[in-house]
Amino acid sequence: MAELIPQTVPPVPSDAYVPVAGDFAFLDRADILTDTNYASLSYWKGVFIHFFKNRRAVIGLVIIAVIVLLAVFGPMMNSYGYRDIVQFRNESNRRVVAKALEPRVPWLHELVTGEPYDDSFADRTFLFGTDDLGRDLWTRTWHGTRVSLLVAFVTIFIDVIIGMSYGLISGYFGGLTDIVMQRFVEIANSVPRLVIVSVLAIFMPKGMGLVIVALLLTEWIGMSKIARAEMLKIKEQEYVLASRTLGAGSGHIIFREILPNTIGPIITQMMFSIPTAIFTEAFLSFVGVGIVLPQCSIGTLIEEGFNNITILPYQILPPILVLALLMLGFNFIGDGLREALAPKLEDM
Amino acid sequence: MVKYVFKRVGMAALTLLIIVFLLFWLVRVMPGNPFPSERMSDVQIAAKRAELGLDDPILVQFRNYVAKLLKGDFGNGTSLYYGVPIKTVLRTAVSNSFRIGGFAILLGTAVGLLLGITAALNRGRFLDGFCTVFSIIGVCVPSYVFLIFLQYTFSFKIPFFPYFFDADRFAFSSVMPALSLSLFTMSTIARFTRNEMVEVFDSDYVRLAEAKGMYGGKLVRAHVLRNALIPIVTVLAPLVVDLLTGALVVEKIYGINGIGKLMVDAITGEGIDYNYVLALGILYSTLYIAVMLLVDLLYGVLDPRIRVAAKEED
Amino acid sequence: MKKLFSLALVFVMLFSCAAVSASADSDAYLGVMLSTNVMSLDTNLATDGESFEVIADCIDGLMQMDADGAAVPAIAESYDLSEDGTVYTFHLRDAQWANGTPVTAHDFEFAWKRIAAECEEYAYMFDSTVGCIKNADAILYEGGDPDTLGVKALDDKTLEVTLEVPVSFFPSLMYFPIFYPINEEFFNSLEAGTYGTSPETFLSNGAFVLESYTPGTASLSLKKNENYWDADNVKLAGIKYQVIQNSGEALDAFRKGELDVVTVSGNQVAAAEKDAALSKSLTVTGAGYMWYLSFSQTENNAQGGMLANKNLRLAISNVIDRYNLTDNYVMDGSLPTFTAVPPQFAANNETGEDFSADQDQFLDLCDYNPDAAQAFFEAAKKELGKDEFTFTIIYGSNEGNEVALVAQAIKEDIEAELDGVTINLQPMTKAERLDKMQNDNYDIALTRWGPDYADPMTYLGMWVTNNDNNYGFWSNAEYDQLIKDCTTGQYISDYAARWEAMLKAETIVMQEAVIAPLYTKANANLISGSVSGIEFHPVALNRVYKNVVIG
Repeated sequence: MAELIPQTVPPVPSDAYVPVAGDFAFLDRADILTDTNYASLSYWKGVFIHFFKNRRAVIGLVIIAVIVLLAVFGPMMNSYGYRDIVQFRNESNRRVVAKALEPRVPWLHELVTGEPYDDSFADRTFLFGTDDLGRDLWTRTWHGTRVSLLVAFVTIFIDVIIGMSYGLISGYFGGLTDIVMQRFVEIANSVPRLVIVSVLAIFMPKGMGLVIVALLLTEWIGMSKIARAEMLKIKEQEYVLASRTLGAGSGHIIFREILPNTIGPIITQMMFSIPTAIFTEAFLSFVGVGIVLPQCSIGTLIEEGFNNITILPYQILPPILVLALLMLGFNFIGDGLREALAPKLEDM
Repeated sequence: MVKYVFKRVGMAALTLLIIVFLLFWLVRVMPGNPFPSERMSDVQIAAKRAELGLDDPILVQFRNYVAKLLKGDFGNGTSLYYGVPIKTVLRTAVSNSFRIGGFAILLGTAVGLLLGITAALNRGRFLDGFCTVFSIIGVCVPSYVFLIFLQYTFSFKIPFFPYFFDADRFAFSSVMPALSLSLFTMSTIARFTRNEMVEVFDSDYVRLAEAKGMYGGKLVRAHVLRNALIPIVTVLAPLVVDLLTGALVVEKIYGINGIGKLMVDAITGEGIDYNYVLALGILYSTLYIAVMLLVDLLYGVLDPRIRVAAKEED
Repeated sequence: MKKLFSLALVFVMLFSCAAVSASADSDAYLGVMLSTNVMSLDTNLATDGESFEVIADCIDGLMQMDADGAAVPAIAESYDLSEDGTVYTFHLRDAQWANGTPVTAHDFEFAWKRIAAECEEYAYMFDSTVGCIKNADAILYEGGDPDTLGVKALDDKTLEVTLEVPVSFFPSLMYFPIFYPINEEFFNSLEAGTYGTSPETFLSNGAFVLESYTPGTASLSLKKNENYWDADNVKLAGIKYQVIQNSGEALDAFRKGELDVVTVSGNQVAAAEKDAALSKSLTVTGAGYMWYLSFSQTENNAQGGMLANKNLRLAISNVIDRYNLTDNYVMDGSLPTFTAVPPQFAANNETGEDFSADQDQFLDLCDYNPDAAQAFFEAAKKELGKDEFTFTIIYGSNEGNEVALVAQAIKEDIEAELDGVTINLQPMTKAERLDKMQNDNYDIALTRWGPDYADPMTYLGMWVTNNDNNYGFWSNAEYDQLIKDCTTGQYISDYAARWEAMLKAETIVMQEAVIAPLYTKANANLISGSVSGIEFHPVALNRVYKNVVIG
């Protein structure tokens, strides 16, 4: 390199001071190694601290933790199993089933009204009431929450891994790649899910696995669209250009440089695809390719409750509330994460 | 640009052809029979299959179908509204679903944007929290549950809106279904708008504009909203297609003769109606492809910095 | 914000104006709920009860149903029967189509021959299993000339129908829509594929004419036909039908006064019973069809044909608590059923006695008897050399909310009583269920059958070897012979002997547990207090409105 540089530097005046080694020295070697303003925290530690300083994020975390705990331990908190029908035979040998009962706590009822319940299940406690088959809804709600949490996590996974990568890659490369990838999205999105799933059901056992595959097939599309749009917006910015000039590879630019800057809408999209996935699961169960009865999920519980919504509204309330709380929790966490991952000046 | 649009339309046609073939094949593999044949003998079924050409090689069937399709003929229903040309049934269904869906889109987008902007401007305050909770409820409560609630309150308890859809009083009787359908769009748009705007507010150029003394509505319109619109348009696009093509349960509950109900009836009726599934699939895909094309073009309009494939190829 | 509010206000006002201007007239119309869409108004193509009901409102056949379900004259004033019982001569009255042209015997001949030629789903009512019209089998299944069908217009007012063999219930078939007339001239003036798709393309000769209808619509209305031959006796100004598929909504629509006749199910029935005012409006009517379990007996299914074992089938049938199903899960007044032919639809022409009036005759074969079931199960285990069984019950998830409940209750009963049997539940669409059954690809199916005509043969005929509806592939030579004797053999002209033979056949079905009958569906109707005269029937036409009076 050296010999190619034209010798245009003006000659050094003869009386100028010639620097020698030892003229300058660091007072302390540690000064180079630590930047006292920023680098005292690792990135992730910063995120962590930032996240926990955010009151709403912590509330979100608590909500999710409580729901997860209830999903794990809730069904064990009373003596009913999720498929146990509460019933007995009366004198005339007919079966009496504790079906469609409103929430009841005998001692509370007695305290308020002064007298016990006057039916065959006077001494039974059903915190959330019972369903049409005579099963305890408390147990079923938490049992169903397990299934739906699984669906939620699968959805997040699909969104992040498949949807985001697909969208970012399609948007980044543009041109023919983008065209082909977008046409594929159009095709994938155009075949009614019910048709694909029914065909899949020929080759796969019905149940949770099939639900996951069904979600896999289309749930990523919304996310890929968002990621692509974000990519289109960001890829022309100076820092991307700078990175490219410095010789960074596409993979590095996409996933290291651009991805962190798209995190906002991506998290929002993730949050909103969870209930969609939960309802999709319920619909699949209804047409017989989802979870298998007497199993349940938040979605199927909402659907069962819907049949009685005007006369027995308590049936649909617990699953909807759990879903709303789940969403609230996830959203708070999502907001907290977004702010923690991409801190803005004023937050510092 | 014109060249680009033409190219995209050509590609759309090809994509559509692939989709039709895929549907064509999948629907024939689906478990279930095209004929509701509890009372038909095997001889009768065989005759019907032959009549519809279902025993021909699939490529021959496909060719015949596309040839008919190009003449605008979707064929007849094979089990749904059997014997009636699909076009006849589809016409009313499309008009109902499009109008109610369109209403829902307008309502959802307008209110969603308003809510989102309000929340972003009042960041961290009560209105912001309200917007968050509202949008969470909006996505958690299925539209049909909301419709039942509306129906119960504003038609049963307070008899104001009609209890069922009534084609003679179209606008009036589509208020409740459109409102309940718009809820999801409203929430999604509100949330996205809020988050996007907050992000744009934090960006350097908005700070610069603020420093120059720009504030309030002018700032929002000139700088913030325009930049925030890209992701919003992206989420809105598929919602538009979904809303226009009807919502099954809402249509069922409110007695709307629409596309969503038709699709599920075609698949879950006594027999799978091949022709309906195909016709509706084609309708859906065409809409989807068209809307996506529009969105890609809109990107360029909204943000001149974005170079979609268009410019690179021109 | 202010702007927003004023905008909202304007909106509300706008719509309230619209509301006021729009609600008027249509007072004397009867508001009726339909549970599914009307699929077709063409007698040739209609297959569902809703379509049959609307067609029958608008078109009269040769005979009609009276309040008790007996066949009484309609378009035919009278009929003669030949000595050998095979030739019916119907004498038509002076009736008119709604457009003023007379209803002639040619209209019947045209309609029937069209049905024979097109050979659609219900054309089987012409063939040797039901109507036995001359040459029907040859035309329908062997490509014969439709013109050879045994129906002939001797003149404008006389129709002659020739049968292959005497059919004791033939006149009562005549009220079934497949036997209705179509005005040939009108039909031919229409573009192909448009008959019955709008009020303009549909011609009535019955009590009502179509006022508004498009295929796929959830609401349709009929108005009184002034040209109807019996118009003086029709008091109703019209009928407004609304499709409702949600029982809760049906209940509210009734309470609101939106509809006068609705059908509710499940918890809504319980709610109506508890309500003082509603319980007065509650009327339970037989819906006719029977739900039962069909057992696949071929080797392809049920772990290599395990269900071909009679004792295993009996064991299963004996642990199902049918009262539990109807009391707690179906709840709409459906009858627990312990016979292979459901009660209340087929009465003996001579004695008037219901074929299945005695529900106790097979109690030892299909009631809830855990001990007996245990004995059957032990025997089955010994015969099969196995004591672990896993079966899948398939059912249609879109066939009513109660079906999933019933399936789950059955699963719990079987698993609780029969140690070693595991039941998996598999919901699917009705289309898929039928497909699986037809292709012999299921273990146990929760399925139903509705009577098409008022004779036990509509059920018993299904279990004959190689019948298309014999989804279990059960086969029994003695049974086949008995049924053959009843339909085409020695008993066709001996009513009492035929009746006995059918009872004997039913006994075989029960002893062999070919099916496990569960319950006979009923409808819990709410009928507004001012309405009277609706006739409900479990067979053919479920509801008839000709004699309805409001007020």
